[in-house]
Amino acid sequence: MTIILFGILFLPIFSALSITFFSQKHPSISAGISIAISCITFLLTCVLCAMTQSQTLPIEIVYTWLSVGNLSVDLGFLVDRLSLIMLFVVTGVGSLIHIYSKGYMGKDPSLSRYFASLSIFMFSMIGIVLANNFLMIFIFWEMVGLSSYLLIGFWMTKGSAADAAKKAFLCNRIGDTGFLLGIILVWSCLGTLRFGEISNLLSTNPAAFSSLATITGLLLLCGVIGKSAQFPLHVWLPDAMEGPTPVSALIHAATMVAAGVYLLARGFDIFALSAAWPQGLDWLKFSTLDVIATIGAFTALMAALIAVQQNDIKRILAYSTLSQLGYMVMAIGLSYPIAAMYHLTTHAFFKALLFLGAGSVIVALHHEQNIWKMGGLQKRMPITFWTFLIATLALCGIPPLSGFFSKDYIVAEALHKNAYLGTIALVTAFLTTFYMGRLFFVSFIGRTRSKVSDHAKENSTIITMPLILLAIASVFAGFIGIDSYLMPHYSSQSLANTNMVFPYPSIDQAPDNWFKMLIYPFKHAPMAAILSICAVIAGGFLSFIFYFNAKNDILSSKFKTVSLWLKNRLYFDELYQNSAVWLQDKLALICDFIDRWIIGGIIIGIIYRIVDLIGRFCRFSQTGNIQTYTAIFVLGIIVLSYWVINW
Amino acid sequence: MLLTSILLLPLLGALIVLALPASLRVLHRTIAITVTGIAAILSLFLLLGYQGGIQGYQFIHEIPWVPSIGLNYRVGVDGINLGLVIMAAWVSFAAVLVSYEIRQKEKLYYFLLLLMCGGVIGTFASLDMIFFYAMHELALIPTFIMIGIWGRGEKKVYSAFQMAIYLSIGAMMVLAGIICLYAAGGAQTFDMEKLAGIYSQNPMPISLQKWILPLLLFGFGILVGLVPFHSWAPAAYTSAPSAAAMIHAGVLKKFGLYGIVRLILPIMPQTLQPWMEILVIMALINAIYCGLIAIRQKCFAQMISYSSLSHVGFIFLGIAVLNSIGLTGAIFLMIAHGFLAALLFALNGRIYQQIGNTSMDSISGLMQKMPFIGMILSATLMAGCGLPFFGNFVGEFMIFFGTWQSHYSWPTALAVFTGLIISAVYMLRAIRRILHGNLSSIASTAIDAENTWRKLPFILLMIALISIGTYPIILTNKIKDPVNNTLEPVISLTMPDTTNSDSSK
Repeated sequence: MTIILFGILFLPIFSALSITFFSQKHPSISAGISIAISCITFLLTCVLCAMTQSQTLPIEIVYTWLSVGNLSVDLGFLVDRLSLIMLFVVTGVGSLIHIYSKGYMGKDPSLSRYFASLSIFMFSMIGIVLANNFLMIFIFWEMVGLSSYLLIGFWMTKGSAADAAKKAFLCNRIGDTGFLLGIILVWSCLGTLRFGEISNLLSTNPAAFSSLATITGLLLLCGVIGKSAQFPLHVWLPDAMEGPTPVSALIHAATMVAAGVYLLARGFDIFALSAAWPQGLDWLKFSTLDVIATIGAFTALMAALIAVQQNDIKRILAYSTLSQLGYMVMAIGLSYPIAAMYHLTTHAFFKALLFLGAGSVIVALHHEQNIWKMGGLQKRMPITFWTFLIATLALCGIPPLSGFFSKDYIVAEALHKNAYLGTIALVTAFLTTFYMGRLFFVSFIGRTRSKVSDHAKENSTIITMPLILLAIASVFAGFIGIDSYLMPHYSSQSLANTNMVFPYPSIDQAPDNWFKMLIYPFKHAPMAAILSICAVIAGGFLSFIFYFNAKNDILSSKFKTVSLWLKNRLYFDELYQNSAVWLQDKLALICDFIDRWIIGGIIIGIIYRIVDLIGRFCRFSQTGNIQTYTAIFVLGIIVLSYWVINW
Repeated sequence: MLLTSILLLPLLGALIVLALPASLRVLHRTIAITVTGIAAILSLFLLLGYQGGIQGYQFIHEIPWVPSIGLNYRVGVDGINLGLVIMAAWVSFAAVLVSYEIRQKEKLYYFLLLLMCGGVIGTFASLDMIFFYAMHELALIPTFIMIGIWGRGEKKVYSAFQMAIYLSIGAMMVLAGIICLYAAGGAQTFDMEKLAGIYSQNPMPISLQKWILPLLLFGFGILVGLVPFHSWAPAAYTSAPSAAAMIHAGVLKKFGLYGIVRLILPIMPQTLQPWMEILVIMALINAIYCGLIAIRQKCFAQMISYSSLSHVGFIFLGIAVLNSIGLTGAIFLMIAHGFLAALLFALNGRIYQQIGNTSMDSISGLMQKMPFIGMILSATLMAGCGLPFFGNFVGEFMIFFGTWQSHYSWPTALAVFTGLIISAVYMLRAIRRILHGNLSSIASTAIDAENTWRKLPFILLMIALISIGTYPIILTNKIKDPVNNTLEPVISLTMPDTTNSDSSK
């Protein structure tokens, strides 16, 4: 068990190191090493899953990494259902994307660097998943930030890519500031950073944080907001699309950005504490979960709106990712981590598939990303077409594809608990279908809109094979019982105070065949299921009317102002540029001015003058005239002897 | 004997270089590389041979010198200076390795450089205050001369003078403080260990402490570059030849910080608290103010000088919070920052040597021309903004935790903000400007490190930075016991105080 865990975590970094040191000049060897190792980690994950079937979870393996005073940090592995599912997603989708990358990036001269960075990413992401304590998560959290930076800026000679990489890293760092402070608070209130111990402490004494509970939760949330690109730090994710498409699929859609949701599910005990504010702030009545739900819902809606008017295929998908992450975060805010993790898993499959499909189109069209220059790809790229269609339907939530089930849980819960959030969830579902319909009709269906799309050809197997496998996963992920697999994880912990909902009243009542599973959403909350299907049909229908065989975007000509705002992403980038960046720049300017002119100029100038003056004065004594020296010498002796005698 | 040989080897090398005729250029360099290399390798035996869990110093070597006034040659290490001695030895070796850029007056250059190397190792190994001070001077004076002769830019003489004046004032204050400590102890000894023992038995009168503590604190502060006494640092480091900047910024500057830990904390616990509260604020000013200035710099050398001052702010903070987590972090960060600063100035030197200036406005796209240097530079800058698995992260997060533990809530928040965001802003900006983007014409003639010898200093320092960052326990386990001993007098004094503030929170 230990060996397997070490293997899963450290094989990828081994791959990165061996590529850097030995095969930098041999791209195909580097690709081979990296692909082989990611597939091995996937197999090891399967072995791990099989081994844990018979064992009681969680299993914790701990080594001390650092221990000073009462601060102790472990290198620890925590194996439970939550980490196993996440590990499965990361290594599974990761391996497919490694293979796909070989096809997509095959001709790039820096292929070795690409695969080394990808391996660093796998290492860091697996570290997050397996970590048993907050600081270890933070360490790997920073490391995924690094690998994301390296991969967004992979084409570093391109200014926009380098800028996007920098922006992503800095946005993440802003979130991480809060995250680290939250970790410090957890440590100072509870005295431990291990998730297991935190759970136990909080279940015996929910008031362990006393008045700091909500602040701690919110600070930890900052890290999630940065990594999962939630409002207000969402601006980096669309820019991150400057990176190679497989990277967008793996890091900026399926796994890394979902790490925030994973953290929320992992530290749910802390987030679920009821509102508690220190004196002076106790008029703020809301709890951490309220904030989480609001941020999630707002991001879901806002991103879906912006996606409606984007023209770059990858940017549309990026905003779609933001919106879906918003769903997951909202699910956590509704104290429903199982639904969040369920949606995370299904989303990983179909969103990775969408990106890889988009990548396949982009390759076939010689790096054309504007959907208005595509079109007519149905006949020319059949595999890409069909898999992309499956992924689109899954994302929109059409039964019986996987996205339907996971999204339905969230919508049902939102409608049940809070009418506003429920409405937002439904509107977002409508918008999702609308923008995905737009993307699909414009780029795949109808006539070809440019010469490149006229000459498009289906890609080779190395690109289409991952598409097919992911399509299969996207179809069936709803039936394999991810939700019921996760249930024991949460029911085993005493979370009585969080009024958390389970998909089924108890594990025995989980539907046991595929048909029961298919109709379960309609039995469980028929209203929600029917409403969300209506929203999907409405969205699909509208996009069909507007965009089937459309020559140009009708919306942008009809609603000019709205369209302009949406096209410009609601001007968030400009807002930040003119507030935060401006402020930092001016502060730096003031400090620089003080240093250069006041300290460096005036004060040093004065000291310089004084020293200079003393020097000039002393020069008078050094005349070089022997007689003067003798006179002073004699004078000195007289003074000295007078002083000695009169003592 | 081991310690003595480590610190004598470079000095011996200096004498040999002096004895050889000036025309044997290759020989000077070979001798320098050999002696510092052997010293560096020997220093690893300190790490291997050091036994944890033992009170007091190890590897002690003592030679009576002027017994009548209690002045002895005495060297030894405990957890606090063990890492510093090793760091000094390795940075010295790397500094000698990058000195191939020097093409004139090599004999004098290597003589001075080896004096510096011996001096910095000796400073941290000495247990006798006079040797501690004298070794520092031995390393400091060559720095001025090296800036004056082999420095860069038109302002090099001015910078050298400015540095000399500032640092001499600081050193004078420290010397006065040391003499006061000697005189007030009344035991005729310059030995740090004995003095700490004496003062823990019968504390120094408060009236004396009131004067000696600020004298030493600000003396050391000037030597480290505590704002507002920092103007010498950017000017000097920009003008200095790589090796001098590496040794001074990386190692010698830690003299002041180390001095505070050794001479102020255990000896004057009674008046420490209020001064340390002031130092917390000054440390934060250092970190934030210098960090913000670093954002504005156009010249890479200036930027790394200010970033170095900003990092020193964190070390001050770790010392000033007076608890074992913070102080362990501070000592760890001293070591990590030594490697980091050395790397940065070595890289800066390489870029300067290839391009002729280090202005971030005119250099871009260097990664295409210098893949190796570019990779090391990105890794180093990432380490500088506190990326995990590099040494700096470990030191910094311990300091953050320590600051919080001493109930400094806002300082913790500000420190975390500075450490994670401000540093990332200027470090990433440098990567973006220098390495990424289109290749600028001025950079098109730059050549990457030609061979393994040229790559070696960077590789060695990088390995050091990564190994303490991934396996920190090798140092922290050794640091924490002496740190607890150092803080014991302070903590025992303030114990009722802290329990009060605990209950009030």
